[in-house]
Amino acid sequence: MEKGKISSLQMGMIMYLTIMSTAILTVPGITAKYAKQDLWLSPIWASLVGFMTLFIVMRLSKNYPQQSFFQICEHTAGLYIGKLVGFIYVCFLAYVTGQIIRSYADFILTVYLPQTPISVIVISMTVLAAFTVIGGLEVIGRVSQIFFPIFFFSIFIIIILLIPKLNLSYLLPIMEDGILPSLKGAIIPQIWFGEFFLIIFLFPFLSDQSKGRKWGMITIFMVLFTFVTANLIVLFILGQNIAGTLYPFLKATLFVNIGDFIENMDPLIIALWILGSFVKITVFYYVTALGIGQWLNLTDYKPIVWPLGILIVQLSFWSLPNLMVINHHDETVNPFLGLLMQTLIPLLLLGISSIKKKVKPVKI
Amino acid sequence: MVRRVKSLLRRRKGIQPQIDSLDDHGSLSNKMDENIDYFRSVYANCSDVVIRPFLIGGMYQAYFIYIDGLANVEETDEQILQPLMNATVKNTNEIMNMLENKIPVTNIQKFTSLSKCIDSISTGNPLLLSDGINTGYSFCLAKWEKRGIGEPSAEVGIKGPREGFTETINVSTSQLRRIIKSPSLKMQELFIGQLTKTKIVISYIEGIANHNLIEEVHNRLERIKIDGILESGYIEELIEDNPYSPFPQILSTERPDVVCSNLLEGRVAILVDGTPFVIVVPTTFFSLLQSHEDYYQRFLVSTAVRWLRYLFLVISLLLPSLYVAILTFHHEMVPTALLLSVAASREAVPFPALVEALMMEVTFEALREAGIRLPKQVGAAVSIVGALVIGQAAVQAGLVSAPMVIVVAITGIASFMIPRYAMGIGFRILRFPIIFLAGALGLLGVMMGIIAIIVHLSTIRSFGVPYLSPLAPLKGTELKDTLIRSPWWKLNTRPHLTGDYNKHRQSPGLKPDPTKGGE
Repeated sequence: MEKGKISSLQMGMIMYLTIMSTAILTVPGITAKYAKQDLWLSPIWASLVGFMTLFIVMRLSKNYPQQSFFQICEHTAGLYIGKLVGFIYVCFLAYVTGQIIRSYADFILTVYLPQTPISVIVISMTVLAAFTVIGGLEVIGRVSQIFFPIFFFSIFIIIILLIPKLNLSYLLPIMEDGILPSLKGAIIPQIWFGEFFLIIFLFPFLSDQSKGRKWGMITIFMVLFTFVTANLIVLFILGQNIAGTLYPFLKATLFVNIGDFIENMDPLIIALWILGSFVKITVFYYVTALGIGQWLNLTDYKPIVWPLGILIVQLSFWSLPNLMVINHHDETVNPFLGLLMQTLIPLLLLGISSIKKKVKPVKI
Repeated sequence: MVRRVKSLLRRRKGIQPQIDSLDDHGSLSNKMDENIDYFRSVYANCSDVVIRPFLIGGMYQAYFIYIDGLANVEETDEQILQPLMNATVKNTNEIMNMLENKIPVTNIQKFTSLSKCIDSISTGNPLLLSDGINTGYSFCLAKWEKRGIGEPSAEVGIKGPREGFTETINVSTSQLRRIIKSPSLKMQELFIGQLTKTKIVISYIEGIANHNLIEEVHNRLERIKIDGILESGYIEELIEDNPYSPFPQILSTERPDVVCSNLLEGRVAILVDGTPFVIVVPTTFFSLLQSHEDYYQRFLVSTAVRWLRYLFLVISLLLPSLYVAILTFHHEMVPTALLLSVAASREAVPFPALVEALMMEVTFEALREAGIRLPKQVGAAVSIVGALVIGQAAVQAGLVSAPMVIVVAITGIASFMIPRYAMGIGFRILRFPIIFLAGALGLLGVMMGIIAIIVHLSTIRSFGVPYLSPLAPLKGTELKDTLIRSPWWKLNTRPHLTGDYNKHRQSPGLKPDPTKGGE
C-alpha cells in the first residue's frame, strides 16, 4: 500500500502543521466567545484531549503492531461491525477533508481574492494536494519538514514584532467567573487536539517507531505552546474585541508597524495560511485515500486519488452554503463529531481490545 | 478478426529498432590474402585508412594498417618498420619472437579476433599482420592533435586551480590521478555507442563510495544501447532518475578539483571521451548551489556568499511574479509613497503588468541566449541593442515602465548567481509559469507555484538520494555544509549518501590554536 517510511520527527512536523495551520487563525475568535479573557487557558484544557488521544493511539498501535486502523477495527469489533465502523471513518475523513478545503477557500475569498470564483480556489488546491498524495507519505513528510521552520519562525517573528503593541492589562481579571468559561472555551480547540488521532494511520510507516510516542508528546506540547502564545498575543492586542473577529490573529498582525517600514504583515500570514492549509489538506486527503485503500484491501491507493479528489471538491460544497453555516457547524456539530470519532470510538476499541486480551490472547 | 488484432499487437511489440552491429566478424586466418582482402573490403572507400605492404627481412609478406593522422608515423617508421625490414629471420616463430622482444614499443597487444583488430585500428594504433601468423600485433603508437589543458571557461573563479578537463579522456583521468594518488582511486572503463564506441570511465574511490551505488551506475550505463555518444549530456539524460524534471539531477563539471572533492565524499564520476564535462552522481539540490570556491575561501565569507546565493535564487525565481501579483491584485501591500512612484511611472504604459513582465522577460532571455552563441565581433552590437534600445528607449517610448526594467535586470543578475548553469536554466524556465500564476491568482498563485516546486523537489531523487537532502529528510550533521559552510576543522564526517560507509574524513580536533603548536 505505502512503501515509503518517515521518521518520527517528520511525523511530528506533519502533525504540527496539520493542527496549527488552521487553528491559529480561527480558533482564538471562537474560544473567546465563551472564555472571554481566559481564552489562553482553554487550549490547556483542550490539550488533555490531545494527550488522551495520543495515549489511545499508542496503546492501540502497541497492541496491534503494523496493523492498519481498519484491521484494528475488524480485530476488535468483528468483521462486519468492523467494516461498518471503517466505512463510517472513511466517510468522516472525506467529509472533514472537504470541510477543510472549504474553510481554506472561504478565507482566501474573504481576505484576498473576493472576485475569484470559489471553485477555482478549491480545485487548484485539490489538484496540488492530489499530486502530493500520489507522491506518497515520504513526500508529505519532506514537504512538512521544509514548511515547518518557515511556519514556526514566521509566527514567532510576527509575535516579536508585536511586542511594542502589547497591553498586558487585558489579561485581568483571571478567572473572573471561575473555571467554567475557559472549560467551555476548550470545546472548540479540542477538535484540533483530537486530530492527533491521525497518528494511528501514520504510525505503521514510521522508521523509528520507538520514538513515536516521544515525538507525539513533543508535538502536543509545541501545539499547546503555540496555541497559548497566539491566544495571549491576540488577547493582549485586541482585548475584549476578539469575540467578534473572524480571524483575530490576522487582525492582530495588522498592528505591526516598526519605523513605518515594516508594516502590512498580513500577506505573510496569508502565505503561511496557504502553506499550512496545503499540508493539512494533503494529510487529510492522503489519510482518506489510504483509508479507503486499506478498508477495501486494495493493493495500491494511488488509482483512487483522482476520483476521490472529485468527491472531495463536491463535499466541500455540499451542505455548506456559506461562511455563516460553516461557522455555525464548527460550533455545534464538529466539537461532538470530532470528539466522538477521534477520541471516543478509539477509546471504545481500546477498551474492547483490552477486555479481549484478558479473555484470550489476540492472534495476529 | 480477434486473432488479426492480436497478431498486429504482437508485431507491434516485436518491432525493436536494431542498430547495425559491426561486432561479429570471426577471427584472423593463417592466410595473409584472406585477411587482407577482408580488411580491404571493410575499409573500402575509406581514404584515410592506409594499408602498407612490406617484407619482413626481405622474405615474409606483411602489412601495416593504420589511420592517417591518428597514428604516429615517425615512430612507426623508426621503431618498427626499420628493424623489421632489416631483420634476418628464418621462420614465423622468429618473427613472433622478434615482435614480442625486440621492438622498442612500450605497449604491444595481440589480437586474434577481427573485430578487436578493427577497434584497435580505429583508436589509432597501427596494426601489423604477417604471413603465416594468425595474430594481429597492435602497437600503441596512437597520436593525434588535441587541445591543451586550459582554464575551464564555464566555471571560473578567483581562487583555486586554473586547469580544466580536456576532450581527451586519458588526459582527464591523468588529471584525477595526479590529485588523488592512492591506488584506491579506481577507473573502470566501458565503451558505449555502437558506432562511436565512446570510451566511458567510471571513477570512484574504493572504500569510500558505496558498492550499491557503483553497481547501480554500472547497471544504468550498461542499459544504454545507442549509436553514438557525443557528449556527457547524452549519458546524463539516459541515466537520470526523473527525466521530466526541469532540475538537473547530475552534477556536470569541467574542473578536476570539483570531481575530486566529490570522489572524496563518496560519489561516482563518469568521464566521457570527447567532452571536457565530467558528470558526477548522485547529486542534490544544495550541492548544485555550491561553488568550488566556497571551500577555498575563508568560511565566514563562504557562508555569507552562500546566503546571498540562496536569497538571489529566490529572487531570480519570484521577483517578476511578485511584482506582477502585487501590482495586479494587492496594491495595499506596498507602502504608499512607493506605490505612488510606481503608479506614476506606469501611468503611460499601455499594457497590464503581466504582459509587460512577460514581454521583458522573454526579451531578456532572448538577449542572453543570443549572447552565448554570438561571434565576438558582433557581441558589442548586441549589448548596445540590449542596453539602449530595450532598456532606455522602451522606457522613454512609454512601452515599458522603468520599475519593470529594474525588476528584469535584478532577476537577470540573480540568475547568474547560481553557480551551475543547468540549475540556473531550470529556474529560468520555472519563472514563466509562476508569472502566469501570479497574473491569474495573485499571491495565491505565487504560493501555489512555490508549493508545487517544493513538492516536486521533494519527490525526485538522484541515484536513490532524496534531492532535497540534507534538509528534507533532515540530517542534522550535514546542515553544517548546507546552510552554512563550516570551517574545515569542523567538517569531520563525510556526507551520508546511500549508505553508511567510511564516515570519518579527518581526525577530530583539528581546530588551530597557538597553544597546540607544540611550543
